[in-house]
This record gives sequence, structure tokens and C-alpha cells, in this order.
Amino acid sequence: MSENRTIIRSFFSFMIMALILLTAAAVIIYQAEKSRRAIPVLGTVPEFAFVERSGSPFGLDDMNGEINVVDFIFTNCHGPCPLMSSVMADLYRFYAPSDRIRFISISVDPLRDSIETLRAYADKFGVSDDRWVFLRAGIDSVLSLYEKGFMLSGDLPGEHSTRFVLVDRNGRIRGYYHPEDDASIELMKTHIRLLAKEQ
Amino acid sequence: MRGFTRLCFITTATTYLLIFVGGLVRVSGAGLGCPDWPKCFGRWIPPVSAQQLPPDMDPSQFNFTLAWIEYSNRLLGMTVGLLILATAVLAIKYYRKSPRILYPAWAAALLTAFQGWQGGEVVTSQLKPVIVSAHMGIALVIVSLMIYVTREAYYAEIGAVSTKSVPAGRSRVWIGVLWLVTIIQIVIGTQVRSSLEIADAANPLLTSAELIEKVKSINIVHALVGLAAAALAWKVLPGILRRVGELLPILRQAGFGAMMLVAIQVLLGLAMMLLGINPMIQVFHLWVASLLVGLLLLGYAELTSAKD
Repeated sequence: MSENRTIIRSFFSFMIMALILLTAAAVIIYQAEKSRRAIPVLGTVPEFAFVERSGSPFGLDDMNGEINVVDFIFTNCHGPCPLMSSVMADLYRFYAPSDRIRFISISVDPLRDSIETLRAYADKFGVSDDRWVFLRAGIDSVLSLYEKGFMLSGDLPGEHSTRFVLVDRNGRIRGYYHPEDDASIELMKTHIRLLAKEQ
Repeated sequence: MRGFTRLCFITTATTYLLIFVGGLVRVSGAGLGCPDWPKCFGRWIPPVSAQQLPPDMDPSQFNFTLAWIEYSNRLLGMTVGLLILATAVLAIKYYRKSPRILYPAWAAALLTAFQGWQGGEVVTSQLKPVIVSAHMGIALVIVSLMIYVTREAYYAEIGAVSTKSVPAGRSRVWIGVLWLVTIIQIVIGTQVRSSLEIADAANPLLTSAELIEKVKSINIVHALVGLAAAALAWKVLPGILRRVGELLPILRQAGFGAMMLVAIQVLLGLAMMLLGINPMIQVFHLWVASLLVGLLLLGYAELTSAKD
């Protein structure tokens, strides 16, 4: 009889153990799936102190609390910049009803891009409010933010990166996108929608 | 040595937990959660954010959850390695003159060291199916050796070598056949899985039902062999338990456990046929198979040391 009881007991302890493993496995598999769907955090934007085309200072604090799309351009650029800015202008109009997203274009050619030049450039793309800002700073600060902060590469100004960088409300980099590729921009719109729902 | 037997038992149980965690790494797709080995993203403690990555590593590769799932397999692997090493060292101390304990304990320890290195190959091969399956195969050999050591240590501790005379008949052959079929089923099962993965990579948009359809032939072989083996197990095991179970209590428990596990395996297999591939069912299907291998081996060893 006691032998039967041993068998029953080991059967039940096996079942209890299997149940514990089952629960643990369910949680782990669910978390793994969720983490694959989540938009990764790729980095954090450091503090910076630049000047906006209006002449007022602009830094990391002004980015926090908003979903930001950042690119690096210069106004004398005849290569990819006009395309980058026109894609950005499309997005600027597309998101016009929302005040939760901000577009940021940073000049990589501060010697030629004065505040006035940036203002004229903004007017050319029909920018009428500060949902889209244009920033300027000394070349060393720009280079540092470009390489270390946004982890972009390519010589400034001529060979600058064309990528759009998505930064969330907490100053964290969440993705890189190619303005010349419609699919990439569509993906960015999807990510923006998901970020807007994040707490 | 009571403590030694207990250590052997704990080591065997932890090895089974490790086999489970290893399966979990595979089904959760965390195998490349750490792209390097033995460190994870160049660190002994995996990074918690992409910013801790060394500059030469692509931050988009980093996924916190997957990195830690993979790393917990490595940490538990280290733990098991140390436990098996402790077993082997203590075997020298207490069972220097018992080759049936000493040799398999050291074989397990050496194989575990090899397994650690082979785990690195799994990562550098980018999860090549053959290498992943070999990793699991070695794990089965290690756990089998540990079961053998545990059983021998148990008998050495209670001072009884079980050379009772039992009317075993062909029992041992039947259990041996079941053990072999289980191993073959595991091999075919890993083939089903790699064919599924290859089909999935070639046709990324298929539903899991459509994928099963793609690997139909090997899947049917696996199912038919499985059903035949289950039928055989349920036919011969009750008879064996009735004949010799009374005399060999460990055999009785192992045989009873094996019958339960066979039933669970059939249900899990059917569930996957009907509901599609589910990572939860997959991980248990393989783990229960590894338990089955262990119990059948234990039963076989019981019969070997008994006399006809």
C-alpha cells in the first residue's frame, strides 16, 4: 500500500512541477514575443544647447515630452537634402492636427547657415509654426551630437547621413529610417503611432 | 554516503531543468539573444540597455529579454557543470574503487565541459540545425550518465546490490527497444522541427497549419512511429510491471512513470497536429521525451543488474 502511495505522491509532485514549468514557460515565451514586437531603444540623446531659427535656445528639454523626428541637413546642399526636407514637409503637413510630434532639422554647415538663412529655408517649405524647428550650433557641438548622440556617420557637411531618427518622449532613440524609401517612411509612421500609445 | 546520493539526485534534477530551459531558449527564438560567446555583447553580465554595447556592435541587434533568456541558459549550464564536477570529485573521494560510479561520473564531467564549448559553436554557427540538435543529443547522454551514477550511488548507499533473481524474461529487450525507439523519435522530431524552420524561412507568410502541410511526409512518419511506440509501451509495460514490479520497486515506479509520459507525449503530439505548432507544446513535447529516455534507461539498468 505504501508503495502505491509513493507512486501517487511522485505523480502529483510531477504534475505540480510541470504546472510551475508550464507557467514559467508561458510567461517567458510571451515576454520574448512581446520584446520582438516592441520598438527597441537604441540609445539616448545627450544634453545639447543649440539655437532655433527664431533665435531662442533649444535643447534636450525641448524634445522631451514630444515624439521627435530628427534629420541633419544644410541649406546649400544640392544632393539629398531637398528630398529629405520635402519628405519632412509631407510629414509636417500629415501630422498637422497633432501637437504631439515635432520635426527637427539640424544644420551641419553652421558657417553658411545663419539664423536668417534657416528662416528662409523654413519658409520655402511652408513651415509656419514650431512643430518643425531648425537648429544651429558651432560645428564641434554639431559633430559631437551627430556622431556620439545620434550615432550617425559620414563626413560633414558634404557626406552627411540622410537618415531620419525617431526619438521618443523621453529622449530615447527608437529607430532610423530612409527618407528616399517610401516603405521605410511608412514603417516610421507605424512606429510613431505605437510610440504615441506608449506610456 | 547519503550526501553523495543526494548530490547525484539534485544534479540529475537540475540537468533536467537545464534541458527544459535549453528547449525554452530555442522555442522563444532567443538562441542568438547573445550574439557572442561566452560573453554577452562583450560583457560578463549582459547589458540592460543598447547604450552599454561596445561600439563595434549593432545596437539594433540588442533585445534585453532575449539576451537574458539566453544568458540564463548559460548561467544554469555553469551551475550544472559545477554540480557535475563536484559529483566527479567526490566520486574520487568516496568511490575510488567503484568503477560503476567513478567512470560514468567523470565521463559526465568531461562531456559537460565539451558541451559548454559546443554551446559556443551553436552561437557561432548562427543556430545551424545540426549543431543545435547535437547540443541536445549531448545533453541527453549527460543526463543518462547522471541517472546511472545516481542509481549506483543509491544502491551503494543502502548496501544492497540488486542481484535478486527475478523472472525477467524478455522484459529487458522490450525496454531496450522502447528506449531505442524514443531516441529515434527524438531524432525524427528534431528533423520535423528543422524542416519546419526551413519551410518557414522559405515561405515566411504561411500559417502554421500550412507549414505543417509542407512537412507532411516526415511529420506522418513521426506520428506513426510515435503511435506504434506508444501502443507497444502500453502493451508490454503493464505485463513487465506485473511480473517483476513487485521485486524491483524502482523499476515499478520508472515503468509507471514511463506509461504516463507516453500518454502525455501522444496527447501533446496530437495537440500540435490539431492546433498547429505552438512553442509551449513544442518545449514540453521535447522535454517529456527526455524524461522518458531517462526513465526507460533506469528501468533497463534495474533489469540488467537482476538475474533471470
